[in-house]
Amino acid sequence: MKKKWLVMGLSLVWLLGLAASSALADETMDKIEKSGVIKLGFREGSIPFAFVDPKVGKHVGFSVDMAGLLAENLGKRFGKEIKIEPFTVTPKTRIPMVMNGTIDIEMGSTTYTQKREEQTDFSLIFFFSETTFLVAKDSGVKTLQDLSGKRVGAARGTTNLKAIEDLAAKGEFKPKEIIVTETHPQGMLALKSGKIEAYSTDRSLLEGLRMKDQEPDKWMTCPFAIAYEPYAYILREGNSDFRDFVNNTILWAIKTGKFFELYEKWMGPKGLVPIPMSKAYKDYLEMIVYPIEDEWWKK
Amino acid sequence: MGLAYNFDWGVLWRQPYGTWLLQGIWLTLKIGFLGWIIALFTGIVIGTLRVTPWRWLRFLAAAYTEVFRNIPFLVQLFFWYYAGPMIFGQYLGRQINQITGLNFYVAIFALGLYTASRVAEHMRAGFASIGRDQYQAVLSTGMTHAQMYRHVIIPYALRIIIPPLTTEFLTIFKNSSIAMTIGVAEITFMSYRIDADTFHGLEATTGAMAIYLLLGLTVVKLMNMLEARFKIPGLIGR
Repeated sequence: MKKKWLVMGLSLVWLLGLAASSALADETMDKIEKSGVIKLGFREGSIPFAFVDPKVGKHVGFSVDMAGLLAENLGKRFGKEIKIEPFTVTPKTRIPMVMNGTIDIEMGSTTYTQKREEQTDFSLIFFFSETTFLVAKDSGVKTLQDLSGKRVGAARGTTNLKAIEDLAAKGEFKPKEIIVTETHPQGMLALKSGKIEAYSTDRSLLEGLRMKDQEPDKWMTCPFAIAYEPYAYILREGNSDFRDFVNNTILWAIKTGKFFELYEKWMGPKGLVPIPMSKAYKDYLEMIVYPIEDEWWKK
Repeated sequence: MGLAYNFDWGVLWRQPYGTWLLQGIWLTLKIGFLGWIIALFTGIVIGTLRVTPWRWLRFLAAAYTEVFRNIPFLVQLFFWYYAGPMIFGQYLGRQINQITGLNFYVAIFALGLYTASRVAEHMRAGFASIGRDQYQAVLSTGMTHAQMYRHVIIPYALRIIIPPLTTEFLTIFKNSSIAMTIGVAEITFMSYRIDADTFHGLEATTGAMAIYLLLGLTVVKLMNMLEARFKIPGLIGR
């Protein structure tokens, strides 16, 4: 009789140990469960993905709504409310802040590159933006070659600037000068004051700049793209459970149609920055969804 | 967790990064020296006007000094680059905006004018340290006011203020890094550019620090040589 209890007791200890060791597999998931808080990095002016709405003084946008879904799913996993603690990040701080643990994940509009992948981990790609130019409607720019001999601008440290520099170095077009600005609004100012004739960044951000201008109809984004930029969320390296959870959140949102609802809300025809969803992008989204079951968030 | 960072000092000389840094150094040197020429010349003129017997000139020089030294250089730079051309009206402003390399010229001009206000103040201090007797002695030889300043007082004051001018000369190279904010590709700009390209910002920034330090030490050495040559025995130096 005593022996039976001992065996049962030992098995219980073993089982508990197993549960504990599997829970310890991922530092980030562990930390979120213990603290009930997920630390999120958002951009301040990445319209419409993550930006501060001056009316409410809070971060809003497509990626911020996705963060809401993530917190909701995490809540279901741990059986308690998971709160979002928002942090503001800049292009310069977003990767170091994830790496040093200040934030668990950055959800904004970060371009996924191999060099960045060497330093951190990334979620699945959730959006594709095109690098193009904002020009005056009456400028008659139809192809990249039309920008030869003109002054073009881009913000310092962006992949857009790099794309222009690379194309100019390869001789695919010959800009008269490449002007580097500090921020996108300064780029817009340079464009309006005639310092440059074309300003480059992601099409979604250019449309955002255009809509904010006093005369939105004076400007247009070019009908071509010089580079495609896949957007993904930044995570810390070596936390694969958390990464799976983020990816499943994206996939589940696509499967349930929530993703498309959010897209409509921010980038649909009536959204803040209308960007028509291309067929290729829609196909991509539908094709990446692997068989995923309801209640996947359960352990 | 920890900071998973792999140091790679090769970004300081590997291509194209090595060339970027060299180009940055060249631009910093150009902005610093050209800015310094403007600063020294304008500063001497403004500083001298502050002690002339003519009230209106004194007022103008004082106004210049206060405007330029009380506004942060970053703000001045933005103003000259983005708003400056508009002063000349719609048409001329547009022409100015289309000058190739405008940001570079604006940086030199803005840095020179800003530093001039500080040089002017040192000049004033230099003049004040010259005794009344000296002025009277010069005038009694029959020189006019202009001649007095040109041949005696200004050279004399300049020799006295060499130590604070050394600091200003150093500061102009350090302040030139702010030109980065209007897209001038000097050293700091290039180190950030390397960071954006390689994510090895720590190495790039350390490299920039070493370059500035070396540049500064060279300036100090040069100015010390000047000081040894031109100091007024008994007034500065022993």
